[in-house]
Amino acid sequence: MSPSFLLILIPLLPLLAALTSIIFGRRLGSRAHLPAVIGLASAAVVALALLVVTVRSRGTAETPRPIDITTTLWQWATIDNAYVPAIDSQAAVPGVAVGEDAYSARPFSISITMRLDPLTATMLMIITSIGLLVAIYSIGYMHGDPGYPRFFALVAMFVFSMSMLVAASNFLLVYIFWEAVGACSYLLIGFWFQKPEAAKAAKKAFLVNRIGDFGLAVAVFLLWLTYGTLDFHDTFSSEGTILPGILGQTRLADVGGYVSGIVGTAICLLLLLAACGKSAQLPLHVWLPDAMEGPTPASALIHAATMVTAGVYLIARCTPLYMACPGALVMVSIVGTTTALVAALIGTVQNDLKRVLAYSTISQLGYMFACLGTGTLLGFTAAIFHLLTHAFFKALLFLGAGSVMHSMGGVIDMQRFGGLRKIMPVTAVTFLIGSLALAGIAPFAGFFSKDEILASLHSKGWPDVHHSVSNQHHATIPTIPSPHSPRDTIHNVGYREITGYGQYLEGTHVPETVGIDALNQPIVWQTLFWMALVTAGLTAFYTFRAVFMTFTGPLRVPEEAGDHAHESPSVMTTPLIVLAIPATFIGFILFTTEGLAHFLAATPSFTAPSVVSTTTASVFHWDLAIQGTLAATLGIVIAAVGHLGRRSDGPQLERWLGPLRSFLENRMFIDQFYNAIIVKPIKAIAFLTALFEKYCIERSVRLIAHLPLTLGGVVRRLQSGLLQRYALASVIGVLAIIVLLAWRL
Amino acid sequence: MTTSFETFLLLSPEITLFLAALIAYLAAAFSGFQAGWLIAVTGLGIAISLSGSQPESGATISSGPITIDGFSFYIRLLTYTAGLMLALVQSGDYWKAAVQDNDAEERRRVTGEEAGTFLILLVGLSLVGLANDLVLLFIGLELVSIPTYILLALKRTDAAGQEASLKYFFLSLVASALFLYSVVCLYGLGGSTSLPAIGNQLQSLGCTIAPIADGSIAVGTITISMAAVLLPVTLGMAFAGAAFRMAAVPMHFYAPDVYEGTSTSNTALLSTLPKIAGVVMLSRLIALAIPPLGSLQNSGPVAETLLLQSWQVIAIIAAITMTVGNCMALLQNNLRRLFACSSIAHAGYLLVGLAALAAAAGNRRVLLGGESIEETALSLNGLGSTLFYLATYIVATIGFFGGLTYLGHRWPEWSTSSDKQPQLEEIKTVDDLNGLSSTNPVAAFCLATFLLSLMGIPPLAGFWGKLSLVTSSLSVDSGNAVFGDRKAWFIGLSVVLVLNAAIAAAYYLRLITAMYFKSTDKGVQADGGLSSGLAMIVCLIVLVSISIRPQGLFNSALQAGNTLSGTLVAETMALFTTNTSTASNTLIREEIENEIR
Repeated sequence: MSPSFLLILIPLLPLLAALTSIIFGRRLGSRAHLPAVIGLASAAVVALALLVVTVRSRGTAETPRPIDITTTLWQWATIDNAYVPAIDSQAAVPGVAVGEDAYSARPFSISITMRLDPLTATMLMIITSIGLLVAIYSIGYMHGDPGYPRFFALVAMFVFSMSMLVAASNFLLVYIFWEAVGACSYLLIGFWFQKPEAAKAAKKAFLVNRIGDFGLAVAVFLLWLTYGTLDFHDTFSSEGTILPGILGQTRLADVGGYVSGIVGTAICLLLLLAACGKSAQLPLHVWLPDAMEGPTPASALIHAATMVTAGVYLIARCTPLYMACPGALVMVSIVGTTTALVAALIGTVQNDLKRVLAYSTISQLGYMFACLGTGTLLGFTAAIFHLLTHAFFKALLFLGAGSVMHSMGGVIDMQRFGGLRKIMPVTAVTFLIGSLALAGIAPFAGFFSKDEILASLHSKGWPDVHHSVSNQHHATIPTIPSPHSPRDTIHNVGYREITGYGQYLEGTHVPETVGIDALNQPIVWQTLFWMALVTAGLTAFYTFRAVFMTFTGPLRVPEEAGDHAHESPSVMTTPLIVLAIPATFIGFILFTTEGLAHFLAATPSFTAPSVVSTTTASVFHWDLAIQGTLAATLGIVIAAVGHLGRRSDGPQLERWLGPLRSFLENRMFIDQFYNAIIVKPIKAIAFLTALFEKYCIERSVRLIAHLPLTLGGVVRRLQSGLLQRYALASVIGVLAIIVLLAWRL
Repeated sequence: MTTSFETFLLLSPEITLFLAALIAYLAAAFSGFQAGWLIAVTGLGIAISLSGSQPESGATISSGPITIDGFSFYIRLLTYTAGLMLALVQSGDYWKAAVQDNDAEERRRVTGEEAGTFLILLVGLSLVGLANDLVLLFIGLELVSIPTYILLALKRTDAAGQEASLKYFFLSLVASALFLYSVVCLYGLGGSTSLPAIGNQLQSLGCTIAPIADGSIAVGTITISMAAVLLPVTLGMAFAGAAFRMAAVPMHFYAPDVYEGTSTSNTALLSTLPKIAGVVMLSRLIALAIPPLGSLQNSGPVAETLLLQSWQVIAIIAAITMTVGNCMALLQNNLRRLFACSSIAHAGYLLVGLAALAAAAGNRRVLLGGESIEETALSLNGLGSTLFYLATYIVATIGFFGGLTYLGHRWPEWSTSSDKQPQLEEIKTVDDLNGLSSTNPVAAFCLATFLLSLMGIPPLAGFWGKLSLVTSSLSVDSGNAVFGDRKAWFIGLSVVLVLNAAIAAAYYLRLITAMYFKSTDKGVQADGGLSSGLAMIVCLIVLVSISIRPQGLFNSALQAGNTLSGTLVAETMALFTTNTSTASNTLIREEIENEIR
């Protein structure tokens, strides 16, 4: 079986499962989970096979080579001559389309193309394996729910959309499935739509995400206008010339292939806006805590492990675009670090277990953004590394919280229960493992990925320290040479003179800069590093605060749980145990073998010359590891002082915070702030426009709408039902045509 | 140009169907065989498999009065495929059984006659597509019309049904008479009944370079001035004949009355099959003025005039037809009447592509005359777009009526205390569909999808159809439009089409609103035959397939259109045709595959 075939199978199997669930769900009744579990299990097996195939084909560790396999299933539609590149546009990449071809018109083609590269293979593995475990867990968790078949259909549909999102090789397809995962998320948050809070949370998530989607849509328009294609990969035109894709080998190999300056920065910032919406980063993070109204397995799958990482994926995928715009890169880091810190602060005072985890998710995603923004290979691989470890331990934590909630009769307020380790030992131990991983305690998974994140930020803040190290571990990745001989035509020389890219040749390149590029200063990076370090301490604090409040101290059970509070069934605890294994070991294994870093380095997006020349080393930094561990330990100690043992339920610690506490408990008043400065004014404007609409527009529209109706009334008169009149009218009509033809035309 | 054994060989699908019709008639009459529609479906299956594969654009096999090329093949296959679906719909139409108490026996007995008549109709339609000769074309058209009268009368025996079939009968006669007049004029112009011969004569009239006469019997007495008198009459009359079959203005009056009066399955038939005939008539007429594929001959002034007059009159009629159809549909509450009006509107859309065909073909003379080819990019894909749109329209319409037939009747309100079971009510108004999404979700979903496709909502098939029509209309001339020139005309026509699509959304959405957002206290009972439900499902699958991969059908339609529209086609860039392949490095892929092995 070819890799392409395996690649097609991965989305196809969940899609079939979803369709089966939709069609036969009601008939299957209590066995409605079967299609989803079988479909996701086989998809996970296929994803594993695909991962093995990809790993084996990446070459040796010293000379990895880019893996970029694309499969075009079919052309959805092609509109010819839709784009004529302007003389100075980036669509005519120097050296790519030689001579006249550089400016020949190009088709707008929507090709259904899937791609396989290390990034996609890794993402697919995460999505399918966590999807499978969540589906198995849900058999127990959702048991007896009236919407049982609907839930599994939605989960399978989500896995389909998400795997298409990461496997698509075209920005339009990415956009389509970006919306599709959003729709699945909406439907799952509002799964219990009878509950007003759930319906409201679903609406909020949808609306906030629209802002991000708007960013993505505009970014796609700009990409089309700038590059004249939406494909990632290179394509051949009908004449056989290469049309360079945005992330294709041809453009990647070219130093000046990506637009910088205002347009480039605008594209990158719009993509960042999109990523902020999906990945719940400031200022669009407000939907994620509310999204916890959905079923807990859905929260684990979508709002912790997979969908929210779509933003990280998007930025990682678009790395070469960002590399041309240093200002946009710094913005990614600033947004990420600020989010990490703010979310961690808010998380310290939440009493709802799921909300603590939700803020922790926002905070950890902020970490990923922070290191993505460093613009180094180390940063990119660290982000994906953390994405991977986080997916496992956060899914574990969420499923553990679900297990607690299941046994507590739906109560999730940590003040109302405690000491649960006595009745739920499996959940307690696995939750503790997840917490250790999240807090970043060695040797659990989170420790290693967090260490790399701190290292990537540190290397930007104190570049001199890392300089010697980075050269030793510098892995050169050869890019595939462009089939056309690039730099020999007069045409291209003229082109360079117009745009100033020619300076690349002389090595005196002065890139076009915009205002925010000035942010790229060591002092900024140093600040960001310290913020990240503080966040590490806070993370450990709120995580262990939750652990202590839930599992230690005297046993207390809310009355909703009745007198049969017990450990969850084995169908729910088994996924917990299975997830606890990677949460413990995966960081250590991947870090010591450096397997992931080298594997990911073969992703086409990371093989651009601008990326390859940056820091790649993933060496162990004793100083950073000690700092990080110290911060985490400090956090745990403070949590223990406040909440361990008998004090598990008391708010002693928070009392010290004074007014700061209510500030944090109200989520820094961000929701209220949005309400005051955005929602209220919009409502006011809406009221005014409603008046205008009612009295001005509606009347004119009615007038216009009456036109066809009136015309219809007139024409209807002719429909008298009398045969003779019909015949007469027809003949008169034909005569009119003949007269018209003979006389006028 | 003589009829030979080969002619019959080429006609084997039609002969098969004819034999199947005979079997259906005889079996029903003598041995009481009741599964007439089974014979029809089997016969159609055999006929489709006998049809072979689509010939290349240039390949034409002419034998006797018929010709098999890309175009006639497309028409033949479209006819038979539509016929197959329609046969399923027809066999599931239990109008009589439900409305008349003791008529089950009666209904069974006539299925043989219905199926046989229906097959004859399809044979006629296929002959229209194959005809290379005016006489066969006319006979084919009559072979479509006469079985239609019979079907209309057989299917529904109440007063409304009889009125409808009589109306159709008389008005169809008028249309046939008008078309026959045009046939006479064409004979006068061309001096032959053979279409290529007439075309040759038309193109060479007044042409400076002497034509290479190919079997034409040039009537020496025809002059350009005589042709100038005859042309408007010919065109107008021929247009009347085609307009009746497509239900286009000014021959559209019959549609609402006849559709309302007949059974649902017959409405499906009336709104699809005659449209194919109309499109064939008009495209064959326009093709008379276009030199055949591969010929470098110039067309003379008469042919140019024919093209000029056709595109102008077709464009005007198209605009009027869609507007009238859509405006009338806004006021309808009866489903079949509403679809009659919508069928008029769709006839208008179909005409847009034909106008683009005629206009673009008229351009060629300038190009071949040695002017710069790059100045005006041609769009000869108008016919291809029309044929593509026709297919998407037919699938959605048959699917919709299949669904309605499947739903059939419902119980009226009656008190449970009375023992007497009341008569069933036919589903015929928009309100009858209220709450269908809860009483029959599958049918509601299918119907809604068909409606959305007819509306032209992306990414459904109807959207690609409308997109290709608009594209072909907009690419008639390149360059900037000046008010009053051809480019401006076609921009205006495209605008009218898009506006009409918006108007049409109003009444299609009304149906979807009824199904999904209104509740009903009366249940809808699906008492129609399962076969019409099957037709609905099959149409849905076909529609969705076209939606996600329109390229296959479009290429086929384009190839069919190119057959008629002349030599420059090879250079025409068209929608969906660019062969864009991925340029990933195949080297690595091969290596990986090796490693797996």
